[in-house]
Amino acid sequence: MNKDSQMRAAINQKLIEMGERERLKELLRAKLVECGWKDQMKAQCKDVIREKGLEHVTVEDLVVEITPKGRALVPDSVKKELLQRIRASLAQHSTL
Amino acid sequence: MKMENMSLSGLDNTKLEALAQDIYSDLVEDACLGLCFEVHRAVKQGYFFLDDTDQESMKDFEIVDQPGVDIFGQVYNQWKNKECVCPNCNRSIAASRFAPHLEKCLGMGRNSSRIANRRIASSNNTNNKSESDQEDNDDVNDNDWSYGSEKKAKKRKSDKNPNSPRRSKSLKHKNGELSSSVNTDPYKYNYNTGINYETLGPDELRSLLTTQCGVISEHTKKMCTRSQRCPQHTDQQRRAVRVFLLGLSATSLPDSNTAVESDGYDASDGQVLMSRLQWDGSSDISPSDSASSKASTNNSDSKKPKKKKKTSLNSTGGGGGGSGSVGGSSSQGCLAGQANRKKPKLPVPPAPSIYDNLN
Repeated sequence: MNKDSQMRAAINQKLIEMGERERLKELLRAKLVECGWKDQMKAQCKDVIREKGLEHVTVEDLVVEITPKGRALVPDSVKKELLQRIRASLAQHSTL
Repeated sequence: MKMENMSLSGLDNTKLEALAQDIYSDLVEDACLGLCFEVHRAVKQGYFFLDDTDQESMKDFEIVDQPGVDIFGQVYNQWKNKECVCPNCNRSIAASRFAPHLEKCLGMGRNSSRIANRRIASSNNTNNKSESDQEDNDDVNDNDWSYGSEKKAKKRKSDKNPNSPRRSKSLKHKNGELSSSVNTDPYKYNYNTGINYETLGPDELRSLLTTQCGVISEHTKKMCTRSQRCPQHTDQQRRAVRVFLLGLSATSLPDSNTAVESDGYDASDGQVLMSRLQWDGSSDISPSDSASSKASTNNSDSKKPKKKKKTSLNSTGGGGGGSGSVGGSSSQGCLAGQANRKKPKLPVPPAPSIYDNLN
């Protein structure tokens, strides 16, 4: 386990250094906006805000409410494509 | 460390897949977190709800989904079928053609005057053509002395453009014979109330006739303004015109010889013109009389006044001497002159006859 976690940490770090992680992140964001995920999530946020009250809503409230829904609402196509990209980058970096 | 990193390739697929999944979920979580921060800031800054429309506007601008109407509720060819009445010519025009029509109708467009001129020119050309063709139909019209009833049948309806300002144009009389045919009886033409000589008084008429050819053109109703020797018209035509025009004014006079005389016309001109009207005993020369009776008398007389016509034309052509005489005394002189010319002899006036050359 330690080895794995260590390995993971190392790989993550590698990705960051390579700038790959940043690229992946931007790719994901773009895809989510494209497919309308962001608008959906905003509507969810509105509900939360109305629920909690405009003045007193906190980041934590939003995070707690929104994140699980967000994870679930990501379209499959976006997920598949992203995983593919991650595997590719891992494979690319494994040789290094 | 490097050794561990290098061993990544040694990992089996499941682990690799798991790794990928982990990385993916981290990325998604980052995205969500980013969204939350963004929304929270918008809420706190007060611009989160700005892009929403209020309920009233939502109802006003709701998308329309009815047949025959677009999504805004407007009809597509609303103005296509509507017709407007032109205030100028009072015709019913389609809405989409109204503006160009009005332009032409009022004569205010760029090409409206050009088109109108062209139309007039073409109608004149067609008139000329058809008149020359009608020369052959003289015999048909010989017996009638009507004011164009004969010619009505031949009237060219196509020339009557409903849009043209000449819609109320008077009937075209068949005066083309007068100008075109030589041997036809000149008095058989239909007298049309043309504008030009209708408005002229007898004095003006006579003065015109002594200086100009004066033969009345059929399609324009105008007297020929060329000289007395104009090649387009013959002497007979000229004589006929003078007889016709002056004959009307001569109805009031008792004396047949001086029948043509009337008050106030130039002695010289009257003398000249009267000389042609040597009708024995026919004082009223109204055009309503039958053409045949006139024809007989006129034919016999036509020869006499023919030469006298020369004198009249000669006198006018000879200079202003004769024409310069005063009206009052000259009238008597005219009588004398007429008395002289009454005689059967046909003296050639001293001045060279214009018609000598013509004859």
